[in-house]
Amino acid sequence: MTALPTLPTRPVVSEAPAGYAWWRFGRYSILVHRRAWSSGFLLIAAMIIVSGISLASGAAGLSPWTALAAAIGQGEPMHVFLVQELRLQRLIAGLLTGAALGVAGCLLQTLARNRLATPGIIGIDDGATAFAVASIVAIPTTLAPSALALTGAATAAGLAFGLSGGAGARGYRFIVVGIAVGALFGALTNLMLARTDMDSANQAYPWTVGSLNARPAQAVWLLGIGLLAGLPVAKYLGRALTLMRFSDSVATGLGVPLKRMRVMTLLLTVFLTALAVAVVGPVGLIALAAPEVARYLVGHQGVPVFNAALAGATLMSLADWVGRTLMAPIEIPVGVIMAVIGGPYLLWILLRPSARRAP
Amino acid sequence: MSSSASRPQVVKRSWLICLTLVVLSVLASLLIGAGDVSPGRSAQALWSGADSEARFIVMELRWPRTLLGAMVGMALGAAGVILQSATRNPLAEPGLLGVSAGASFAVVLAISLGSSAATLNLGVAVAGALAGCFLVLLVTQLRGIGSDPVRLILVGAAFTSMLMAISTLILLSDQRSADEMRFWVIGALAGRPTETAYSSAPGVLLGLLLMLPLIRPLAALALGERVATGLGHHPQLTRMSALVCVAILVGTATAAAGPIAFVGLIVPFVARRLVGPDIRRTLWLSLLIGPIIILFADTISRLVVKPYELPIGVVTAFIGAPILIAVVRGHRLPTL
Amino acid sequence: MSLLSSLLTNRPDHEVSLAAQSLSLGYPAVSIIENLSLHIPPGKVTAIVGPNGCGKSTLLAGLSRLHKPSQGTVVLNGKDINRLPSRQVARELALLPQEASAPEGLTVAELIQFGRQPHQGILRQWSEGDQAIVEAALAVADLTGLADRPLESMSGGQRQRAWIAMAIAQQTPLLLLDEPTSALDLGHQIEVFELIRQLAAVGKTVVMVVHDLSSACRYADHLVAMQAGRIVAEGAPSRIVTPALVEQLYGVKCILLEDPHSGTPIIAGVTRLG
Repeated sequence: MTALPTLPTRPVVSEAPAGYAWWRFGRYSILVHRRAWSSGFLLIAAMIIVSGISLASGAAGLSPWTALAAAIGQGEPMHVFLVQELRLQRLIAGLLTGAALGVAGCLLQTLARNRLATPGIIGIDDGATAFAVASIVAIPTTLAPSALALTGAATAAGLAFGLSGGAGARGYRFIVVGIAVGALFGALTNLMLARTDMDSANQAYPWTVGSLNARPAQAVWLLGIGLLAGLPVAKYLGRALTLMRFSDSVATGLGVPLKRMRVMTLLLTVFLTALAVAVVGPVGLIALAAPEVARYLVGHQGVPVFNAALAGATLMSLADWVGRTLMAPIEIPVGVIMAVIGGPYLLWILLRPSARRAP
Repeated sequence: MSSSASRPQVVKRSWLICLTLVVLSVLASLLIGAGDVSPGRSAQALWSGADSEARFIVMELRWPRTLLGAMVGMALGAAGVILQSATRNPLAEPGLLGVSAGASFAVVLAISLGSSAATLNLGVAVAGALAGCFLVLLVTQLRGIGSDPVRLILVGAAFTSMLMAISTLILLSDQRSADEMRFWVIGALAGRPTETAYSSAPGVLLGLLLMLPLIRPLAALALGERVATGLGHHPQLTRMSALVCVAILVGTATAAAGPIAFVGLIVPFVARRLVGPDIRRTLWLSLLIGPIIILFADTISRLVVKPYELPIGVVTAFIGAPILIAVVRGHRLPTL
Repeated sequence: MSLLSSLLTNRPDHEVSLAAQSLSLGYPAVSIIENLSLHIPPGKVTAIVGPNGCGKSTLLAGLSRLHKPSQGTVVLNGKDINRLPSRQVARELALLPQEASAPEGLTVAELIQFGRQPHQGILRQWSEGDQAIVEAALAVADLTGLADRPLESMSGGQRQRAWIAMAIAQQTPLLLLDEPTSALDLGHQIEVFELIRQLAAVGKTVVMVVHDLSSACRYADHLVAMQAGRIVAEGAPSRIVTPALVEQLYGVKCILLEDPHSGTPIIAGVTRLG
């Protein structure tokens, strides 16, 4: 038997793992990934700038600073009215939907160990859209679109998850089953639009492309509340999800109750996606792009829940701003803008040599 | 298909079933409509010219439409079989891989650049389909994704959503295009000019003729690239010509009826179920199954939302999506 | 104080016990293990051996709550392991599964830090103890110089040591390893087995599935020989390993020699049964 190595003579320096800041209060301690925070601040700054630009532009042009000031009630009453009553709501809707979709994408990607597994591609958006459209055109009902979108999203997610035998299994299977489920719900949406008279079809059209133009105020409120409740849960799940990026047996060995975490993650994804889709319609590519931006900025192994939310909010309001100004006075739906930008990006992910690996 | 029957018997029986179904589907397409002309009245009109309204509807509206449907069905079904053989991928489908999207996008582009839908040249659609095929080829060759059936679908989905978004942009910016374009972005057999069926016949015929010399090499390719080379074939050349062939077929079909998704997936799937995986059998059978699927789907599309009609793509999606799931769920993805 | 004993559980007087009681494991259609009972001797190295498909990996998966039993229970410290919270089990029992895979780009140190997760919480994210243990685990596995290397850039032996180091950093009294030396060459095999012996020497209870019977005899205190889902022999290697047992397990004839270095049985002169 070889001699046992002995403790190093130098005292063990109490320090945090590389790249982390560490605070201690008695027996409590908090680790903070430095780059996660710095990129968080970067994203917040970007979000404020985009918000300013977005509030400033429109039929009556303002300077971004005037617009931001007007948003918090400072400046000329005319400007305050214009910004607060007309533009701010749309901006808030954009920020909230972007954040919700960003988080949802981030969670689902980690759950499926595949960066392509986002709510839009899995068909959750289509499910939510189909049911939301149903609430407007096909079934005379007083239920809010949010509630029905939630039902639809849950149905689609359940189908995709159930039919593929779980998210983690067999590589891309989950995704293709999701595409098929999405196609089914897309066909359902078309079916309902074809059945209806033109008036409500026009009303339902934004649902099929994704637009911030026709956001129901009630749904925005629900989304805000949902996001407030969902973000801490997402952060909590994020810790477990970090371990779920290992193989199942390793994660179990480290004490993650896999089944429960999977179900909770899927539920939260469905919840956030549905609430967002009820406001903006299917803008699925945000959920693909936002976590990617967040991961690129943070560059570490965790699950960047908050940064994905910030990136999603920024991207969504940016895309909406581009859509409003690019061909003004014609407004391009934000979903179209995201598809034009996101499509090539998606192709790039797929054609990269390392795309086979997990996020 | 009972396991006790021998292969030739099974093949014979499959042909009989399919031929019967073709007749039935043609009859259904001629007799059943969204309007208030009853099937009985339509049937009488077929034999006697007494009821001029019914006769007009059956002979002038439904007959060209049925013919067009049969043509499109043959083109898409055969294209599906060829594409699946060439990519050795049971999920490959012209609609899912962006070939149809390429074709319809080219049409949209041409319309917005001033050409009118009525005089539209087939060549534009075929060129678009070729571009779509080129993408498929690029993807399969470039990254060796050909061996990953599922990733190809994702590339197609990405490509399709991008092209559709750009189409929407064009639609938003140009009202005249918007009206004509609605035609092309939604696949439908209804409302096409009568001559469409006749003018697209040469394209379909050309595609099918080009396909003939490819059948044997494709059958050999099913055994693997090396075996095919060993048997004296040229896998690259075979694949290229197969994709050109697919482009002509899909381009023609799309120019005539717009993009109709999932047909190229359903037809080979059914054909394989009936007569096994060999392309020498499935290809011929697909020429019958394609029209059956399209015609029945078209008939259904007239009935569901009477008095309106449903885009046929909606019906094929309802049939095709479950098949897609079934194929992916299969324990082992069969490599073709 | 040795480096290794600093890695043991922070409750040194803690007696750990792991046992299977009338355990049946399998899938809906196939039963792999039926009605198996086993008590793991504390503080020793137990090796589970047997022919391919005898259910040894399944048994280990059952013992480590990866595989839920269809009947019977796995008892950890007197409680049903499948009813305990997963995190609590992770503080008692560390696991090295066979198909361990890590996200791309993870460094050795980061991997080992994950071993501390069962001891951490939202308000207790890191402590000096955590840091000390990670460093000690690195040192024990002889990886100190390689701490910042990404996992995929290392050799098979180094990677395996890194995974073991992660399990060590979990600071559990129990360590379960599924074929820890598979795919390693002779030198690396010895390295890993020596490390396991050292861990046992300071009081860790180790259970491992081992493919090679001679290695099992050499490095285990306690052998569990399995065939067709049943335990056919159990005890100290030199006591239970006989030509008859080898024949029963693998269907081969052999001679047993004595390792001049360790005195443990070596299987030699293997021929197929006529």
